[in-house]
Amino acid sequence: MSADTTAPTPKLPASTLLIWTLGLVAVSWPWLDKMSLITLVTASAAPDTSQFDQIMVHYSWAPRVAMAVLIGSGLGLAGAVLQQVLRNPLASPTTLGVESGAQLAIAIASLHIPGLLVFSPDLTAVAGGLLGTGLVIALTWRLGFSPVTVILAGMVVSFVLGAINYALLLLNGEFLGHLFIWGAGSLVQNDWSQFQALWPRVVVLTIGMILLMRPLQLLQLGAGRARALGARVTALRLLALLLVILMTACVVSRVGVVAFIGLAAPALARLLGARTLQQQLFWSTLIGAGVLLLADALAQLATQWIGGSLIPTGTTTALIGGPILLLALRGLRNDHQAPTHTSNLTSNPASFARSRRSLWPPMLITLMLLAIVTTLSLAWSPSLAGWQWTPPSEWANAWQWRGPRLVAALLAGMILGGAGTLIQRLTGNVMASPELLGISGGAALAMVALSLLGISAGRGGQLIAGAAGAAVVLMLLFLLSRRHRFSGHHLLLGGVAIYVFMDAGIRLVLSKGDTEAMKLLNWLSGSTWLVTGSEAWALALIGIILLATALLCSRLLTVLPLGGATAQALGVRVPLARAVLLLLAALLTSAATIIIGPLSFVGLMAPHLARMLGQQTVARQLLLAALVGATLLAAADYLSRVILFPNQLPAGILAALVGGLYFFWGLSRHGKA
Amino acid sequence: MSAFFNIQSLGVAVGGTEILRNITLDFANGEVTALLGHNGSGKSTLLKALARQLSPKGGTLSLNGTPFSQIGQRDFARQVGYMPQHPPATDGLTVRELVALGRYPWKGPLGRYQPDDHRIIDQAIDDTGLGSFSHRSVDTLSGGERQRAWIALLLAQQTRCLLLDEPISALDVLHQVETLRLIRSLARKRGLTVIMVLHDVDLAARFCDRLVALKAGTLTADGSPHETMNSPTLESIYGVPMGVMERAPGHWVSYVH
Repeated sequence: MSADTTAPTPKLPASTLLIWTLGLVAVSWPWLDKMSLITLVTASAAPDTSQFDQIMVHYSWAPRVAMAVLIGSGLGLAGAVLQQVLRNPLASPTTLGVESGAQLAIAIASLHIPGLLVFSPDLTAVAGGLLGTGLVIALTWRLGFSPVTVILAGMVVSFVLGAINYALLLLNGEFLGHLFIWGAGSLVQNDWSQFQALWPRVVVLTIGMILLMRPLQLLQLGAGRARALGARVTALRLLALLLVILMTACVVSRVGVVAFIGLAAPALARLLGARTLQQQLFWSTLIGAGVLLLADALAQLATQWIGGSLIPTGTTTALIGGPILLLALRGLRNDHQAPTHTSNLTSNPASFARSRRSLWPPMLITLMLLAIVTTLSLAWSPSLAGWQWTPPSEWANAWQWRGPRLVAALLAGMILGGAGTLIQRLTGNVMASPELLGISGGAALAMVALSLLGISAGRGGQLIAGAAGAAVVLMLLFLLSRRHRFSGHHLLLGGVAIYVFMDAGIRLVLSKGDTEAMKLLNWLSGSTWLVTGSEAWALALIGIILLATALLCSRLLTVLPLGGATAQALGVRVPLARAVLLLLAALLTSAATIIIGPLSFVGLMAPHLARMLGQQTVARQLLLAALVGATLLAAADYLSRVILFPNQLPAGILAALVGGLYFFWGLSRHGKA
Repeated sequence: MSAFFNIQSLGVAVGGTEILRNITLDFANGEVTALLGHNGSGKSTLLKALARQLSPKGGTLSLNGTPFSQIGQRDFARQVGYMPQHPPATDGLTVRELVALGRYPWKGPLGRYQPDDHRIIDQAIDDTGLGSFSHRSVDTLSGGERQRAWIALLLAQQTRCLLLDEPISALDVLHQVETLRLIRSLARKRGLTVIMVLHDVDLAARFCDRLVALKAGTLTADGSPHETMNSPTLESIYGVPMGVMERAPGHWVSYVH
């Protein structure tokens, strides 16, 4: 036991060497037709300027390779430090909101303050990254940065900032085309200037992180014991986080979002046997560089094969990183590595609960609100001549335009409310929801894939693809969590993995920047204006059948949150019951995702609101959550139609913004509770 | 007279480590038994095996002569009730709602509760002295009251047998004694077979008919308190020199030398 504390297993250097060799060979292969290996190396340093090939090598190929190595090692190290700080094997700059913050900052700057970008793109990105992470930190401050909370807050910040970003893209698509590509992480270089600007920063930040090594080791013992040993835990965490943010933002401002490296490198290092912190930091750095080299080679190859349209490296990192991530999740054998010592956030769902009340008053009030929203939506709207009422005699005509989308939004809300209740009960986790578990993400990913393959299948095809995608995600969640008997944390962590994977896929499509991408963007952000009448009624039928089934399962849903042991002792066939309920949740989610996109937070909000309105038992919560969800999305649909008139915002984005704010509020309430 | 539980050469391994080895044991109907042993001796594992919470590596377990594998999940839950060591958070359920879940094995996911079921639930709440708490949220109860709520759930389950994993480990002395007294009297009144994991050997001797001790996954002692409460036996169980005084008939005090 004690002998292996210093010596890493031979697997580790061997595998690292293999990754590097593969990466280097793949990157230099295309050039070896034209020149010898020695010429390639010498040309990188000092080209013979009479030969075009050598100039290309010196100014394009070599800086790109150097950049990949530099960024890869920087992100690998940053990821390893981050995972140590948060004691969470799934933490990464992506999950802290750094990347989405930086991206949003650059988008805003290029729209409104282009001068800032000329002055310093770095500074803009760092500011954005700080904003994203600052939000996460502020939200989790009082909870002492407990790992699950940080990841959740980070994801929601990413969701919300991403939603704002997508909204900007939708409203100004023609100006922001280049941001699609930038956002996806392109390593293309024209000379050495970027590399020369970046390497001193990376070196300085690396030294800073190495200096923090010993105090970071103490964190391994847990915050309480580290404090007892004299470490100033909070200050230490903040400092380390700051270094990670700076590192990530520097990288992001040069090449855009290179997701997954910060996640995959430490995970790989750990899988291959790096145990101590020194080993993890050292090997993550090396492996990060190797993996990015490999990913970049893949991106170049793919670009050549497809011909013309540019494949950004950031998306191929996802192709490599995704499987590694899933491997890492499988490797999480015992719960000690997973963030089980949770805050009151996930362990005490009742902290959202208020006193019990009768079902009827909140039910009636919600129904009244829904009626008001419906009436407003049909009748009170802005026109070029100002706001006006549509007289009831013309409602029949107005219905054709306003009816289907209203009904669809309302139903999607209802279904999401039901699905959210189902999933929260099923996992016994108050922060679970279709959005956070990646189920809606899976449906979205399938539709993105459809568009990526160039198949325009129409709405029916999208519907089928979406349902299949959601089912696949659920299957994955099944497989991932079978070993852990569907414990809440593993479901959530699996959801994180799928969300990041989906995001990379979306970026890939967006980087094409064509009309298909624009259509997709519309759908992803939940544009209800595409819905036709027959689709709306089909949805109504599906939704009501599914919700009725869920109501019938309410007794099962009361027993299951008490844990597998208790449920089994009461005679429930636990795996079967969970399988049936998860399937039901998948169907509900995909039905709603098709209408409103994957980004709304109604599935999280509606069940909470139902509880706060005093409905604690499953059946009542389900009913009220469905109603609340319907009201929320009906209101979102109406507002999205009128708020920027004559422009339209997608209802899903509006819901995501409101939902994000709600989530922050809920989180801060948890902090006090 | 066949035993309630019959264990034949049971072996259990978790993740490659053998935890129980070749255990052969009977538990008679209506007997209150304590499982003793030091930490890691396998007593909780034995209880879980009896509750069908884990599958054994070898050997057979049977209930009233029927092998476990031939009993359906709900059928089993109608005969054997199990309370895990750390009862889970109850997510806002009231005492009555929690106890009502004890009817699940009888009613399944959809069956309606009849007046009989409600009577059984009320009886279980009364028997555990929780009448005045019946509409309080379980999360707001004190440790002892919460423990009683979970016992009430087992009573509503109307099983012939209770398997309790350290039912008193989180309680103070007063509540420990109260809980054991409650379990004891319920067992007498309803003719229940009770098997529980206990740490306190003195309390176990006082409230149980039989003490079964495990050490490193094998059986080391099995007998009535009279047969067990002597220093050689206790020393063999706990591995430290111990002495025993019988202060009054049936009241033992053990101590470490």
